[in-house]
Amino acid sequence: MDTVQLDLPSPGAALADTPCAHCGLPAGVHPADAGPQFCCTGCAVVYDALHEAGLGDTYYKVQQIDDRRQPAALVEDDLALAELDTASFLAEHTSPAPDGCLETELVLDGVHCAACVWLVERLPFEVDGVHSARLDLPRSRLSLRWQPTATPLSAVGAWLAGFGYALRPVRADARRRRSDAERGLLIRMGICWALAGNVMLIAFALYSGLADSHPSLAHAARYASLALGLASLVAGGSVFIKRAWASIRHSLRVPGGFSDRMRRLHMDVPVALGLLVGFGHSAWATVTGQGEVWFDSLSVLTAALLTARWVQLRSQRLAGDATDRLLALLPTMVRRVLDDGTLETARADELEPGDLVEIPAGDVVPVDGVVDTGRSALDNAVLTGESRPIAVHPGDTVEAGGTNLRAPLRVRVQAAGESTRIGALLRWVREAQDQHAPVTLLADRFGGWFVAAVLGLSVISLGVSLAVAPDETVSRLVALLVITCPCALSMATPLAMAVHSGRAARRGLFIKSSAAIQALTNVDTIVLDKTGTVTEGRMSLAVTHGDLDALRLAALLEAHSDHPVAVAFVQQFSISPGDHTTENTAATRSDTIVHEAVAGAGLRGWIDDQLVVVGRPDWVAEHASMPAEWACHIGDITAEALTPVAIAVDGAVRAVAGVGDRIRSGSTEIIRSLRDGGFSVHLLSGDHPSVVDAVARQLGIRADHAVGRATPEDKRVYIERLRAAGQRVCVAGDGVNDAGALQAADVGLAVHGGRTASLVAADAFLTVPGLNPLADALRSAAGTMRLVRHLLVFSAGYNVLGAAAAVAGLVTPLVAAVAMPISSLVVVAGAVYQAGRLPRTQQRMKPDRLQPDSSAQPPTNPLIQPT
Amino acid sequence: MNIFYYLVPVAFVLAGAGVWAFVWAVRMGQFEDVETPAYRMLLDDPQHTEDS
Repeated sequence: MDTVQLDLPSPGAALADTPCAHCGLPAGVHPADAGPQFCCTGCAVVYDALHEAGLGDTYYKVQQIDDRRQPAALVEDDLALAELDTASFLAEHTSPAPDGCLETELVLDGVHCAACVWLVERLPFEVDGVHSARLDLPRSRLSLRWQPTATPLSAVGAWLAGFGYALRPVRADARRRRSDAERGLLIRMGICWALAGNVMLIAFALYSGLADSHPSLAHAARYASLALGLASLVAGGSVFIKRAWASIRHSLRVPGGFSDRMRRLHMDVPVALGLLVGFGHSAWATVTGQGEVWFDSLSVLTAALLTARWVQLRSQRLAGDATDRLLALLPTMVRRVLDDGTLETARADELEPGDLVEIPAGDVVPVDGVVDTGRSALDNAVLTGESRPIAVHPGDTVEAGGTNLRAPLRVRVQAAGESTRIGALLRWVREAQDQHAPVTLLADRFGGWFVAAVLGLSVISLGVSLAVAPDETVSRLVALLVITCPCALSMATPLAMAVHSGRAARRGLFIKSSAAIQALTNVDTIVLDKTGTVTEGRMSLAVTHGDLDALRLAALLEAHSDHPVAVAFVQQFSISPGDHTTENTAATRSDTIVHEAVAGAGLRGWIDDQLVVVGRPDWVAEHASMPAEWACHIGDITAEALTPVAIAVDGAVRAVAGVGDRIRSGSTEIIRSLRDGGFSVHLLSGDHPSVVDAVARQLGIRADHAVGRATPEDKRVYIERLRAAGQRVCVAGDGVNDAGALQAADVGLAVHGGRTASLVAADAFLTVPGLNPLADALRSAAGTMRLVRHLLVFSAGYNVLGAAAAVAGLVTPLVAAVAMPISSLVVVAGAVYQAGRLPRTQQRMKPDRLQPDSSAQPPTNPLIQPT
Repeated sequence: MNIFYYLVPVAFVLAGAGVWAFVWAVRMGQFEDVETPAYRMLLDDPQHTEDS
């Protein structure tokens, strides 16, 4: 951080994005000399404890931090806490225990690391009435058991909120369904492996000639393996048989010719066929005492296939969990104004049109309606992508989803809940997702042709064996069906996909479906949302020229204003709003007196006997001398579509700043590399066209590929038009306004910090800031699909050889028993090995803790540009 | 070799016990979260025990 050298007489150090000193997550912008900063209280506590014990240096040298942490969540307000105690919430999300306690499982936003586990699991000792608290860190789940008569759930929520953790409900039905499915499959898998192991033991005895030495024992052994094989078929094989049957029924129902019908059959059909025919033949052989038994091959096959399926299901669990979070975009609790003027808390879905609700500053507007009393500014970025706040007065309409920035508003309700515009959008996303036709996977497309090929081969085999060896006809046919059972073939895709999703998740990219990985490889067009995706999504000091000290004085003065520009100054210098005498790392104790505040122009005031003027350059020029060089800088700032602010101290302009939505560091490089890689990159935003054009120019995106003032509906249409033109589109966005576009795209990618609605609509989402994982995702998806193709070719080759051997009558049970596991093993090894070689380009954001001043920062800090 | 008529069923019973233990562990949620317990080990044991 010593890289920022100002050629100014500035006593202070430069500002920089500071990582948490404990876990390395972003902890906001602080002066470089401000000492360690933390993302959450848990980290601060652990950091202090380690240093007190003299272990800090060692600990930070040896520890490894995963990349997929999220910054501390916003602390819940009392309204959200109040919801935790309502009877309907408790009825929906908790279950009673015999001793009068209640049990619940909730999402806890903001947990990152071991420090958080320690802090959260202190709950039983800190809050009376809490009996147990267990945190599931990878899934951010808190299992809580507490005595409701001793303490309300809101008290637990308030305690957690004090540390920056936010409690959120999960949709209980979806969670239970997923968890049950995974447990069920794991149990089947365990049973099938146990059965397979025992059948194998018996089979070894039979292979080594038990039938010759002890015929009666061999007979009993065959019956024992029949019993075990039947159990394996019921416990594991039924999964495949059911799915195969469903696929056959589906293919019979759809209209179309023979080849259309064949295409609908998926890979489970040949698997089920092989299992059933093999089992039927082996059972017949056992009862009659004639012919071969295949129970060992069949049971190992079943267990291996179940394992592949379980691995795939588990790797998708994290992604699925995250999207199950309740669509918490709209507040579920509101403050209703009663006829006598008093306030009561009510659930949003109980509101009637005509009710009056109060929305304090900082809250999200819960309803569509008309402002009754109050003047304020709304941040509608979630709805429209517009990063500039919009002023509202009595009589103006407001829409649910916006954030009230300045003063309390009272709004007359016109629509609430699902009838609001945003509610309708969310409903569309949910419904569209339910109907989203899954892309047919490469291997499943083979399924139909595979069946056809096997049937054709069977006919050939039948003819050959009738001519050559009529006695062996049946056994050769069965051998063919068993050896061609596509174990390796149907394991290849799910395994490679599962390994890929697991590794991608570790790098901050969660992929919800295997189809998305395949779709990613075909993408040729990338559409980026501006606000929050390529930019940071909030107002900040994007450019500053001049004296840092003057900027700090300006921030002290702006602390008295709640204008968005003022907020940007205040956040930059970490000053608590409204502090008259601020004492912190960024500002020394000062006496601030606001002399004059002119709406739409700026502020004038005294700080430590210095006259400070901050505001619109032309207004500041009326109060201070403005040398020509500043006018030049102001021209540059305006050209970049930023809002220029001039700062004068004691009658002379000392600094100018450009306030706007800053472009994320790294966006430019990634977009350039994407364009070099042959992708056509588009920029889509609801923001003002001049801002969008300026950002596109800076990012090197063609002007005709940048569209401003796009409504959510426009975005969707834009994507649909691109797709209709034959392009494969990947959309990256974060807002609710992108949800439609994400759903319409071939691959929708919700970026870090995205709204819940965009998570639901997206096929994949990022948990680390920036677009780095997108570039990674495109690269590694291509690698994975190449791997899948290799594995498919290998397995198909194995099946062809096996089929040839079977037709020739060379396949004995021993050959099948050896060949099958080996082919599966090769596929597993290939999947794991190849995935290990996937590029690992994502740099983890990790400070060099032992040398806090070393140059972990880029060589130039975009924030402070030397004049 | 008649011993096998006893040993094989005994082996099945043992395997069955293993399967039962596995099913019990899955139902208890032992495989739900395989990451956090590794962190929990690092934390100090509480002085007073939980009552549940």
